[in-house]
Amino acid sequence: MHIDLKKEIKESGPGRAGLIILLLMIAVALLAPVIAPYNPYQQSTASLLPPSWNHWLGTNQVGQDIWSRLVFGARTSLLVGFGVGILSTLLGTIFGVSAALLGGLYEKVVMRIVDAFIVIPMIIVVILISAYIRPSILTLILLLSLLSWQGGARIVRAQALSLKERGHVAAARSFGAHHFYIAWRHIVPDLGPVLLVDFIYSVRRAVFMEAGLAFLGITDPTVVSWGMMMRDALSFSYLNVWQWWLVPTGVALSLTIIGLTFVGHAAEPVIEPRLRGAEVA
Amino acid sequence: MLEIKDLRVSYGQDVILNGIDLELGSGETLAIVGESGTGKTTLGLSIMRLTEGTVRGVIRFNGKDLLALSDNEMQQIRWSQIAIVFQNANNVLNPVYTVLNQIMEPMVEHGLKSRDEARDRTAELLRYFGFPRDRFSAYPHQLSGGEQQRVLLAMAMANNPELLILDEPLSSLDAASRTEIGNLLRETDKHGAKLVVTHDLDTVSKLADRMAVLYGGKIIEAGLTRDVFSRPRHPYTRALIRAYPNMTTVKDLQGIKGRMTRPVSGCPFHPRCTQVIDICRTKTPHLVWSEGRHIACHRGGIITLLSTKNLTTSFGSLKAIESVNLHIEAGETLALVGQTGSGKTTLAKTIMGLHQPTEGDVYLENTKVDNRGKDFYKRVQMVFQNPGESLSHRLSVLEAVMEPLDIQGIGTDEERKERAIQVLGEVELPQTRNFLNKYPHQLSGGEMQRLAIARALVLDPALLIADEPTAFLDASIQAKILKLLLNLQEQRGLSMLYITHDIAAARKVSDRIAIMLDGRVIEEGPSNEIITAPKQGYTKNLLTAASALHSTESSGIEQQTLNSQ
Repeated sequence: MHIDLKKEIKESGPGRAGLIILLLMIAVALLAPVIAPYNPYQQSTASLLPPSWNHWLGTNQVGQDIWSRLVFGARTSLLVGFGVGILSTLLGTIFGVSAALLGGLYEKVVMRIVDAFIVIPMIIVVILISAYIRPSILTLILLLSLLSWQGGARIVRAQALSLKERGHVAAARSFGAHHFYIAWRHIVPDLGPVLLVDFIYSVRRAVFMEAGLAFLGITDPTVVSWGMMMRDALSFSYLNVWQWWLVPTGVALSLTIIGLTFVGHAAEPVIEPRLRGAEVA
Repeated sequence: MLEIKDLRVSYGQDVILNGIDLELGSGETLAIVGESGTGKTTLGLSIMRLTEGTVRGVIRFNGKDLLALSDNEMQQIRWSQIAIVFQNANNVLNPVYTVLNQIMEPMVEHGLKSRDEARDRTAELLRYFGFPRDRFSAYPHQLSGGEQQRVLLAMAMANNPELLILDEPLSSLDAASRTEIGNLLRETDKHGAKLVVTHDLDTVSKLADRMAVLYGGKIIEAGLTRDVFSRPRHPYTRALIRAYPNMTTVKDLQGIKGRMTRPVSGCPFHPRCTQVIDICRTKTPHLVWSEGRHIACHRGGIITLLSTKNLTTSFGSLKAIESVNLHIEAGETLALVGQTGSGKTTLAKTIMGLHQPTEGDVYLENTKVDNRGKDFYKRVQMVFQNPGESLSHRLSVLEAVMEPLDIQGIGTDEERKERAIQVLGEVELPQTRNFLNKYPHQLSGGEMQRLAIARALVLDPALLIADEPTAFLDASIQAKILKLLLNLQEQRGLSMLYITHDIAAARKVSDRIAIMLDGRVIEEGPSNEIITAPKQGYTKNLLTAASALHSTESSGIEQQTLNSQ
């Protein structure tokens, strides 16, 4: 029962690589004002400049420094990613655990809602809604969270159903404990690994969704975003700007998603020990 | 014939007897039972008016109040109509008289018989009590303890007294003589009444039809000997029987917590009683007649702590338990024995509210249990089958034991900690800081089980349901855990529902055994009866299959049949 998450991630090669990439991205996002040489919104007349010492990755069609925009883009991407990750995991936990513990009609209703949401193609719904309301970052986080907690809730409920049959949960009930105490002290702590994996995949999905929506141009246009940068770059595809505009943005987005995938993949054996290779004693 | 009303005897400040009422008719034998110091000898002496204490009340013998008689009149009655056999034979026999003279003397002195008649009568009595003829002229110091006792009995019977008071008549005898003299005493003089004063339950069962249990100078329970032995109603009587080594009960011996203290306000037994309520401390209970028994207890005797009525729990179409009717009295152990899958654990979990019953009810102290709140769980606790499973691997030893207190919200954090550490001591676990910070996976199986027991006891429950508490332990640790449970029962008056598949272990710890098969209780009764005279074939099979240690190759059953042939 004692599975060391840290050990699990550290011991896998991709897991370690993913973790390094992720930490690097987070560092860039946090230190963006220090790293970026220019204000990403600052315009100059010198548009579409090729890379130079002043502008490492040149400038875009309105003369904004592409490197600075790339650095600030990490903020948006990770903010949406982690925001959705936290919120949807939280919702998933609340609904999953409560459904498992309370049971009865409540459980049926919650799980049918979950089923319904899982059937609906999320991307299309998000695109449609975004196209209408042009969400700000906060709205986007809320929107994505509301549409993505269901998968987690399903896993959490399944796990909690098995956890609540554990002896120590029965023991706690036999001391007169109520549902909330049992959930908080006995179920959620044991859900830790599952929640982490759910969280990482939620983050990944949100990063991807945010970039996609921005690429379609249906998010807040005043926010620097990798997706939007790629869209802008593409409209100048007849020039050779793609080399320093499109490629670095694409690489940054890919790296982030790869990093998350690696970490998630390395953490997965935690919830499903059968995925582990034969252990060398 | 003898009627005692509100007899009170005190030596100075010390009240020895505190309001004794009893009646004794001709031909009856009544035993007064109690520990040493309860005042039973004083009772015997008071009737003979031989106490030095202050005696109040009424002792009516054939209509005459003995306490109102003059010393001379009393002297007439003593020996001729009421005789006493003293406890300590050595001090009573006059060292300068031979056996024969010793007995003849009172007859002649009372002028009832001539010397010759007296001699014949004496010889007859001595022979009757199995005293060897060639020792008639021996002096007391030349006699063995058993012989002295025979002489005293002969002496007491010399004048055919109407009332014979016997103070520990069989105590100084070996088992064979006990039976012999016991039978003689039963046969002797069926018209006279006998009052037997003893601490020895075997003496009671050999001599008396009726018994009264004396405690702290009061009679607390009285009834037919047979009934009282088979189903004691007062906690003290039960404790006395449990403490007595005998061939009938199969449970291990248990003492009675504490010592007898005097004087005590309220019920004399309350400092040692395990079902005390407030009134017991302030008011002395009266001896009242209830269900074929006199009993002095505010709670009407041993209470029924938990009972189930037609309890049925189904999983889908499968009836895991069906129409189970059981009751558990305060301070007793009921062993629930059955094979795996017979529904034992389901029954326990249904009582605990971890399964919902399909039918039937659970009653706690005769009140139906509807919603199990914190109050219920404070009274009823369970030790689960697998201690490793039932302890959260995230909680340290201290946190685990404190958890029930945390959930119940009892006391401050400091008080909880103190209580938890104290309970760890009770189950004989270390109380060091190092141990308190250990996690379950760092403990041995025995330690985990003790921890689980400590956790269940921390709320001070009245009933402990122990589900196979020793299934994962080796025999030596199992023995220690079972002893621990028995001690806890002695100290706290804990009732236990002990669930096991092992009837050999069950008989050592239980007062009653219930046998379960396919979700039903097929047989239930006192442990000794189930063990020695099982009614159901299945129970017999269980007993045959139970562990037995034989050095020969033949099985236990064959061995027994060989021996009996």
